[in-house]
Amino acid sequence: MHRHDVVVVGAGLAGQRAALAAVEAGRDVAIVSKLHPLRSHSGAAQGGINAAVGAEDSVDTHIYDTVKGSDYLGDQDAIEFFCREAGPTVVEMEHFGTIFSRGSDGNLARRPFGGQGFPRTIYAADRTGLALLQALYERLGTESFTLYEEWDLTRIVVQDRRVQGIVAFDRRHGDFAGIAAKSVVVATGPAGRIYGRTTNAHSCTGDGIAAAYHAGAQLKDMEFVQFHPTALLESGILITEGARGEGGILKNVGGERFMSRYAPHVLDLASRDVVSRAIWTEVKEGRGFPGGYVHLELMHLGRERIESRLQEICDFCRNFAGVDPVTEPIPIMPGQHYMMGGIGTNIRGETNIAGLFAAGEAACVSIHGANRLGGNSLLETLVFGKQAGNAAAAYSDRAAPTDISEEVVEGESRAVHAMTDRKEGEEPQHLRTEMQATMDELVGIYRQPQELLEAQRRIGALKLRFASVRVVDRSSVYNINLTDALETGHMIDLAEVIVAGAIARTESRGAHARVDFPKRDDANWMKHTLARFTPDGPELSYAPVAFTRWEPKERVY
Amino acid sequence: MEAEFVKAPIEVYRYDPGTDRAPRYDRFELELAPHTPVLTALLKIRSDLDPSLTMRYSCRSSICGSCAMVINSKSRLACQTPVGPELERHGRIVIDPMRNMPVLRDLVVEMGGFWGNYRKLEPHLVENPDRPLPEGKTSSMSPEEVDRFKETPRCIACGACYSACPAVEHDAEFPGPMSLAKLYRFVVDPRDGAHRERLLKIQTGGLWLCMRCHLCTEACPKDVRPSERIRDLKEMAIRLQGATEHGSKHAIGFKDNIREKGVLNEFKLVRQTYNSLEMLAQVPQGLKIRRKKPELTQTPKAIEGLAEVEKLYQILDDEPGDSP
Repeated sequence: MHRHDVVVVGAGLAGQRAALAAVEAGRDVAIVSKLHPLRSHSGAAQGGINAAVGAEDSVDTHIYDTVKGSDYLGDQDAIEFFCREAGPTVVEMEHFGTIFSRGSDGNLARRPFGGQGFPRTIYAADRTGLALLQALYERLGTESFTLYEEWDLTRIVVQDRRVQGIVAFDRRHGDFAGIAAKSVVVATGPAGRIYGRTTNAHSCTGDGIAAAYHAGAQLKDMEFVQFHPTALLESGILITEGARGEGGILKNVGGERFMSRYAPHVLDLASRDVVSRAIWTEVKEGRGFPGGYVHLELMHLGRERIESRLQEICDFCRNFAGVDPVTEPIPIMPGQHYMMGGIGTNIRGETNIAGLFAAGEAACVSIHGANRLGGNSLLETLVFGKQAGNAAAAYSDRAAPTDISEEVVEGESRAVHAMTDRKEGEEPQHLRTEMQATMDELVGIYRQPQELLEAQRRIGALKLRFASVRVVDRSSVYNINLTDALETGHMIDLAEVIVAGAIARTESRGAHARVDFPKRDDANWMKHTLARFTPDGPELSYAPVAFTRWEPKERVY
Repeated sequence: MEAEFVKAPIEVYRYDPGTDRAPRYDRFELELAPHTPVLTALLKIRSDLDPSLTMRYSCRSSICGSCAMVINSKSRLACQTPVGPELERHGRIVIDPMRNMPVLRDLVVEMGGFWGNYRKLEPHLVENPDRPLPEGKTSSMSPEEVDRFKETPRCIACGACYSACPAVEHDAEFPGPMSLAKLYRFVVDPRDGAHRERLLKIQTGGLWLCMRCHLCTEACPKDVRPSERIRDLKEMAIRLQGATEHGSKHAIGFKDNIREKGVLNEFKLVRQTYNSLEMLAQVPQGLKIRRKKPELTQTPKAIEGLAEVEKLYQILDDEPGDSP
């Protein structure tokens, strides 16, 4: 058995930042990740990171924009803390060596992003996540910690409502091990692959969220799923909001700049939920291009600007859609992009289980509420990664030693090997495809009650079928067929929570748009959804939203 | 946007060193639209035909660097390589694991050596005492300074360059193109205070083992152009401390040597590169050359138009180069 003070699961920006904080606090730290840290999905973030550092901008405006963007479901105390940390966080990352884009004055360049009053999104061309991930990895590399690289998490062990550590296996030879820890930080990112049409990487399967849920952690606001307005038509690859920040515009089949009808003041740079619904409506009402999509036009920006500021986007369009954005419009449709929900935490990253912490997209503090603003997620990973790392370090300092028994490890190993030993059964990839089709069709941008109930029925059936899932590959070396199965199980559990939350919430708020309840209902629904695991499905309860200075108003862009 | 489907025969390297006696190729027949990425084809194989095929992949949009492999003999990203042009050129698609790294299983290679070589070069910012980071503020960088990073920030550490590199294959001392491109990124960073140490260390740390074949630049899916950054490092190293070991002496010797007669004096180049003691070790090789190609051991005559050559050299001398 392995033993550490703090075990961080996930090695993206939140996980690495948490690990750095815990190492700096003098703890024995390990990172467990199914990917090499530089392969993390944080690296795919394109557009930028928000910080109100411009002379005309203010932290208060950043707070207000985030509160409004959240459709008043974000906790205002957390949002205030978050926005105040933005400036110092960017400075720290710049000092770690991040290569940001700069203006001719030598200072960090900023671009406008959706739903925000000022150009406050600091960026590194259109690969801001990669630039931050590299710098943080380089900085963390100067410290001493243990990296369990390409290990798959199967369980977070909790006894008497206290974390004991995790069980995981080394993908390289399939050996299971208990990793005892006084504190566990979950930073495994989102579960975007619950949907088929998503901008997320194949690895975004919510492993840590599902493990925490099974261990008794409360999941918060899972029904709030963000659809990014501009994903490439066929592949779902993300086209950054920065493309519209640089001046890109959306047009329907009639060549109309249709956003003028949905957001007359800020047009294409309205909040993401607003733009996604607008595109959906255009296509649904017959103003899309044949096959069902709209155009994102950049051509008027000129070759120089497109190729220098949107370099990766140019490559994506040329390589993956056969379209040159310098001379042609880009065919786009909204795609699943971000989960506002996650493991419920406070601003220190603490969950309802002693010793269990969470940060980044796996967590829900909540600062994004019902809809996240572009540029706030990279910031979240760093601000709350650090918070969770500090809290985990402090907790481990006063916690008694923990232990994971051999029986627990063997039990995990047996349960997993039952899948490879089975002679009959459905293969995980087929269950996954069905789950994705269900979520795409029935739990999308607009939600109908009958469709949600049908989704609940189908996901419930998938859950039963998953109990006899069969892994064909029997090798102990790098068996990703086994990983397929584990991930699929995690996602089915989380899909069930998303659907349950969506059925219960009889209002429209942010990214959750119910056709039968088109208005926000502050009297009844100004509250967070909490989901707790039971063998019969999620048990829902509700918690109040924290308010400080901003009274709810109708959102107009 | 509907494209016609084409027949796509795909042959995939399969090997589980623990259980298989030898590697084999499994052949799969798919019907694919020509713009389908190889990664999508492989995922289709995994989903419909053989779930035991193992590989690394994640983002499918050429930013995570997971799916580098050898496709029809070239090291590249599976997600960024459409099947159509491969089928047109080769009639089939043959997929192997990356080279220069031991195979763990199928298309998955052990990348410990690759990452180790990278970490050995201490890839992290070392504060520059001449230009301290401003307290509580971001530092400033002129547009010229920003330009010096070239395309190195685009590197996704996929390993395609490492797989394509013959110097990596032949010499364990060579850190590999990616590591050197990363090193360059720190050497030109005005915030970094270890420029000199980095250059001094790499002079004898394998820099000169690069033989300038540019296969890394050809392989790089992000246009980082590692070989050009290695060239820049070599230039900067020479400017810093002159020619101090074989690689730089050979490079400088080559340059001075041709200037004399307009043609390479091979025998002299040996003397320009090695000291007397080291020359002794070259004697057997020298004798062999003398037997097979005696003309190479004779002093060549100056070419006609030597003055033209001299003019070229003067232009080069006047050209300002990068200095650390």
